[in-house]
Amino acid sequence: MPAILIYLIIGLPWLGALLVWIVGDDRPRLQNTLAVTFSVAAGVSALALLPQTSSQVVIRVPAGGIFGDFTFLADGLGAFLAAVATVIGSLAVIFSIDYMKGEAQLGRYYAFILFFIGAMAGLVLTNSLLLMFIFWEITAVCSYGLIAFHNDDPKAVAAGIKALIITQVGGIGLLAGALLVYTQFGTYEISTFLEKAGTLPGAILSVAGYGFLIAAAAKSAQFPFQTWLPDAMEAPTPVSALIHAATMVNAGVYLLARFYPAFEGVPGWRIAVIAVGMVTALMAAVMALVSNDLKRVLAYSTVSQLGYMFYSIGAGGIFASQFHLLSHSVFKALLFLGAGAVIHAVGTRDMRQMGGLGSKMPLVRTVFVIGAMALAGLPILNGFWSKELILESGLSGGPLWAWIIMLLCAGLTALYTFRCVWMVFYGEPRKHVHAHDAGPAMRVALIPLAFGTLTTWLLCGPFAETLHKTLPFHKIEPLSTLAMVEEVVTAPTTWIALFIIALGLAAWWQRERLAGMRAALQGVGKAAANSFGFETFNQGVVQFTRESAEGLRNTQTGYLSWNVAGIIAGLALVLALLIWGA
Amino acid sequence: MNLLSVVIIGVLGLLGVGLYALLITRNLIKIVVALQILVKAILLAIIMAGKVQGNMALAQSMALTVIVADTIVAVLGLALAVQIRRQLGTLDVQALSTLRR
Amino acid sequence: MWHILIIAGAIGCAIGAIVARRLLVSALWLAGTSALVALEIYLLGAPEIAVIELSVGAGLVTVLFVFAISIAGEEDLNTHSIFPLPAAWGLVALSLVLLAILVLPRAGLQVPIPGIEQFSTMLWDKRGLDVLLQIIIIFTGVLGVLGILAESRRTAHVESAKKLQEVREEVQV
Repeated sequence: MPAILIYLIIGLPWLGALLVWIVGDDRPRLQNTLAVTFSVAAGVSALALLPQTSSQVVIRVPAGGIFGDFTFLADGLGAFLAAVATVIGSLAVIFSIDYMKGEAQLGRYYAFILFFIGAMAGLVLTNSLLLMFIFWEITAVCSYGLIAFHNDDPKAVAAGIKALIITQVGGIGLLAGALLVYTQFGTYEISTFLEKAGTLPGAILSVAGYGFLIAAAAKSAQFPFQTWLPDAMEAPTPVSALIHAATMVNAGVYLLARFYPAFEGVPGWRIAVIAVGMVTALMAAVMALVSNDLKRVLAYSTVSQLGYMFYSIGAGGIFASQFHLLSHSVFKALLFLGAGAVIHAVGTRDMRQMGGLGSKMPLVRTVFVIGAMALAGLPILNGFWSKELILESGLSGGPLWAWIIMLLCAGLTALYTFRCVWMVFYGEPRKHVHAHDAGPAMRVALIPLAFGTLTTWLLCGPFAETLHKTLPFHKIEPLSTLAMVEEVVTAPTTWIALFIIALGLAAWWQRERLAGMRAALQGVGKAAANSFGFETFNQGVVQFTRESAEGLRNTQTGYLSWNVAGIIAGLALVLALLIWGA
Repeated sequence: MNLLSVVIIGVLGLLGVGLYALLITRNLIKIVVALQILVKAILLAIIMAGKVQGNMALAQSMALTVIVADTIVAVLGLALAVQIRRQLGTLDVQALSTLRR
Repeated sequence: MWHILIIAGAIGCAIGAIVARRLLVSALWLAGTSALVALEIYLLGAPEIAVIELSVGAGLVTVLFVFAISIAGEEDLNTHSIFPLPAAWGLVALSLVLLAILVLPRAGLQVPIPGIEQFSTMLWDKRGLDVLLQIIIIFTGVLGVLGILAESRRTAHVESAKKLQEVREEVQV
């Protein structure tokens, strides 16, 4: 049964992508229906897979000598992430019905989204490093296609290419690690690798570990690769919700969580992960504070929260990081879709031109405020419980200076979140803004997410139980919901964190009084707006890649003689290798 | 100088002539001629290998396949040459390069 | 003895084919090459293939060439070549030398095991799939030729329609 479900989870979206593309762009309603049907069907299959998780390989397709076997495995971690990807994916697709109404080339849009959902599910469910790399690359290509969807807009195209190049650089790290593992063990199976990781020589394990860290950091837009994510906000907003909040960027966190037992012994690896997470969280929080573009604020906050998850993994709190991933996917998708409703209604992404929209868009305001409270970490909402768990595991497993900085970030998070909410929904309304509330399809997507934000923390117990049973190498302790509540409520960390968050809120309320401090921090603000100089560095890498590609174009002369000469030269090379080589 | 060496030298000679022609010539139909010469060399090599291994039947089957395939290549190549002559007015290989630089 | 003569003749004909200025002469030299190679194959002990090569290579392909050349017309393109001559000589010589180093030492080492199978049984029983694929290739080739050359009929149609239109206009005026 799990085998069939896995085939459905990966195959249904791909089949849907093909059908949507074949149906053609002159039947948008049929395309909408097909896209929604297939993504919802995949979501249902993923949810049905959740009770059937095990640590055994359920699908094994032999693929010949060098590729090994293509194996799939439905354990707690994979099934959970597949469920997140497909369910939130289907909600984003439902939201797109209203958001993309009247847009051209819907076939390309839906095909890419469905293809992406299937690939993401495949990435987390597979047990073969080679397949994982293939799915990784497919998600990168699909995200490029979606970011640059409005391909007549040069900014969108530039953002898409930047995202592609940066995540591909990360992919090299993943490939290098995977090939190293293959040469040592002769197989691509992840379960074998996790079991026998201790037998690898230290140098090889280090290279693989840092390679995977680079791949995860690039994919999840962590330091120093963080500049592609804010630029990727040129994509249509449902795409931002799907890819940059709920699925693709989680791939990096998933990678580190999956391979943690193998690399936890590598000297300096855990500290490196903690450092990457911490620096990112801090930098992104500051950048969110000075940004005026609504989607950019949310993008930076995604990067910052992912920093929290990295920090948690580095400190050894695997369960805490996955729990926060669950909460984050739900409330961040909610925030992005809510922002999408606002942007669709108002026509601009600039927060300085919004204001007072709360009275005109009551439903959107309500759900957005719920999501914002979860992001800031206010009690009862799912963000609160998971963030507190992370801070606690960080205190017990990581250095104290990192913990203090993460606390500070929690305060900054509250600050920029409320700044964002205030600027959009409260304050002085602008006269020239005509805003209408969300359409029916948008509501269908927003309301379940808001409900989820209020309730997903209750799943802590069964989630921990599943992870404990199906991940034999991770040593995760089962933690029932009640125990978690007790732990969080009684820990001193929680009260300190709540105090810092309250400070953040107070800072916003009293912002006029603190104007003096703001002027002093002006310099930091300017540096943050320039992304602390990383933008120029990344621009340089992209520029270099494009120029070398243009240079290599000169070898394609189009003349037959040169091509034949190339063939003969290749023949001579092969012969030489045969005669004198290995 | 046994029989095998002679045949091998023949194969190499024909290969050399064919490859040189492929590199040098500008006329599209001469390129098809050069390809044909290359294939003759290969046929000779296959038959020689069959004789040396003693498995002439297998070698002849393979040679038959090669003959069929290369005849079709010649047919299609000549059809393309004729059509190119009609469209572009010339048989010059240089004229075929329209890659934007 | 005969072998050396025949092979030398084949190489000579091949050189003649590429040196010839006129395409028709080049096709005839190619026919000569095919015939001599077929003869050599017969002498090596493969009579069936020799016959097929003679009729197809020296006969069919030559006729094809003559057809194509008469349709396409002769063109004198024997001006400077596009690839520097010394580089061409160098590349070809290099590959040939490497091939020779690879293959020549092994000449004279084998003791031939007499073959027991008939060509026909081998072809039809054991390599039947090959034959099927060859038939498919032939059909593909025919369809390909039709596809490549069929355009001209449409353009010919368009041209004759245009001419008809012009004549009509002239008549009306």
